[in-house]
Amino acid sequence: MLTYVIRRVLILIPMAFIICFLVYLGMELTPGDAVSYMINPDALGSMDPDQLEALRQSLGLGQPFYVRFWSWFTSLLQGNFGYSLNGGVPISDIVASRLPATLELAAVALVFSTIVGCVLGVASALKRGSKTDSVLTIIGMLGVSIPEFFFGLVAILVFGLNLGWFPVGGRSMPDYVTFWDRLPHLVMPSMVLSIMLTAGVMRYARSSMLDALSRDFIKTARSKGIPEWRVNVLHGFRVALTPVVVLIGFRLPVLIGGSVIIEQVFQWPGIGNEFISAVRSQDYPVVMIIALMSVMAVLLASLIVDILTAVIDPRVRLGD
Amino acid sequence: MTQPLKSATRRLTRLDDQFDSIKAREEAGDARSKGGSRAFNKFLNNRLAVIGLTIFLVIILASIFAPLLTPYNPNKIDLRGMLQPPSWEHWFGTDRTGRDLFSRVLYGGRISILVGLGSAVLAAVVGVLIGVYSGYVGGWLDALAMRVSEIFMSFPQIILVLLLVSILGQSLLNLILIFTLTGWGGIFRMARARMLSLREEEYVLALRSFGLSRPLIAYKHMLPNALGPIVVNITLSTAAFILQEAGLSFLGLGVPLSIPTWGNILNVAQDLRVLQNNWWIWLPVGTVISLFVLSVNFIGDGLRDATDPSQQG
Repeated sequence: MLTYVIRRVLILIPMAFIICFLVYLGMELTPGDAVSYMINPDALGSMDPDQLEALRQSLGLGQPFYVRFWSWFTSLLQGNFGYSLNGGVPISDIVASRLPATLELAAVALVFSTIVGCVLGVASALKRGSKTDSVLTIIGMLGVSIPEFFFGLVAILVFGLNLGWFPVGGRSMPDYVTFWDRLPHLVMPSMVLSIMLTAGVMRYARSSMLDALSRDFIKTARSKGIPEWRVNVLHGFRVALTPVVVLIGFRLPVLIGGSVIIEQVFQWPGIGNEFISAVRSQDYPVVMIIALMSVMAVLLASLIVDILTAVIDPRVRLGD
Repeated sequence: MTQPLKSATRRLTRLDDQFDSIKAREEAGDARSKGGSRAFNKFLNNRLAVIGLTIFLVIILASIFAPLLTPYNPNKIDLRGMLQPPSWEHWFGTDRTGRDLFSRVLYGGRISILVGLGSAVLAAVVGVLIGVYSGYVGGWLDALAMRVSEIFMSFPQIILVLLLVSILGQSLLNLILIFTLTGWGGIFRMARARMLSLREEEYVLALRSFGLSRPLIAYKHMLPNALGPIVVNITLSTAAFILQEAGLSFLGLGVPLSIPTWGNILNVAQDLRVLQNNWWIWLPVGTVISLFVLSVNFIGDGLRDATDPSQQG
């Protein structure tokens, strides 16, 4: 088991390094360098070219690309993420202030979509071919076909502006103290974010459950005279839902992608929102760090999925 | 009905009747499908897939023949006719600068569908070309392609797209290239996996023993057997790309705002006043996007059921 984990981690490290390199290379291709961001464009024209050159040298910009990459990479490993071009705020501060909001949103969406998706998927598998099944299938299809920001707009209009049940955006007000004060703000974004995920989980849970129900041990259980609900819940469920729950890790990219847009729609002050404004204002260091963070999250999640799968199913770790 | 000879010696069962009727139908030539392939007929028997195909064709044809359906120029600004609700003159009303929304939806469809379908097809071409080679020949090129696709696929797609948008800049062509770049990995892996399993088939062995060249075997003889899942993948990624384009343009980071696309029309709905007071600006186009993506997904599902040989019926 330990060798399996070590091998998986060893594969991951060069990949993470290459991704860092590629992202840095990409940012290198963008117009302008650190100096042109530091000085406002009006002043840039009137400055002495020699002075500019000296400034570039002092920042190490005259050094070859790989030297700069290496110094950037090592400072990254030491936890120095660099500075935003917008006011020179340390990027680690930005991340620290934005991350909790995104995690809160993602956690609610993940839990909600997993539970609801599993229940609906199992229900539709148990009633295979019935009207419930086809209605649920069509609803699932609608869930993956309607753009999530469109869901968001409709939700804002109906529940925010017309009914006034929930605030239309934002996360917090100055006088808010506890989590419960913020809860109304959380409801709409997390539910809208859940929709696409739920549809995916539902489809997966349905096929997984159908697969489990066709196995021999279900027949054995039935022939022993165990009540139908016990067969389904204790024997079918358990086998069918383990992969569904473990695969939460694979839903992470969808979740991150979804939250980028949803945070923008609801003005939710999270990482995704910051990412969009950084892309808009061409704040490359921030864009780079957030992109790298999301990749690392995905890589880490897939590592955890692999390990969990290996723990659950010994064939995986002994197979190759 | 002619009785089989055996019937004299044993009692006829219901099964005999069934077989007789099937035989009679076969002799009369009814049992064979009325032209067209089996997959095609199966597709036509899938109600949802046919509904999907109909919606798909209606929206595509309406976009292509937009100049015949609407007299308005989608970019013509008419400041005297701003924010008009739907009327006989303007079916979907007008937007904040008085542009006719019905014609913007039609002309916007051209661009949105071009981006979605174009990127999906390009991604498929790239993915299949590399994947078929990779899967059949293997070697260092295969290993390299696998690593590269792994790198691309470890980015959440929208993050990678936005990263590339900020590096390459915003334009229609860039967006198609970016989608191609971010989307080829999935289809590459599928084509590769399919080739790996096809490689063990006996007909491939036979072709090799005839001395056919490797590209000929791979692209001419094996590729057609892998086409079913590839076509399904193209439809599903078309749907995904159209959703992404809409999302990006909605944020103002997709196709430049001067070009009408479905996402760009929705862009103004970020303004809460527009959202609340001018429903005709965002509701019809949002519905059109949803219907189109839904229809493409239905077609994809129908194609999957129709081409998957493991579930014939």
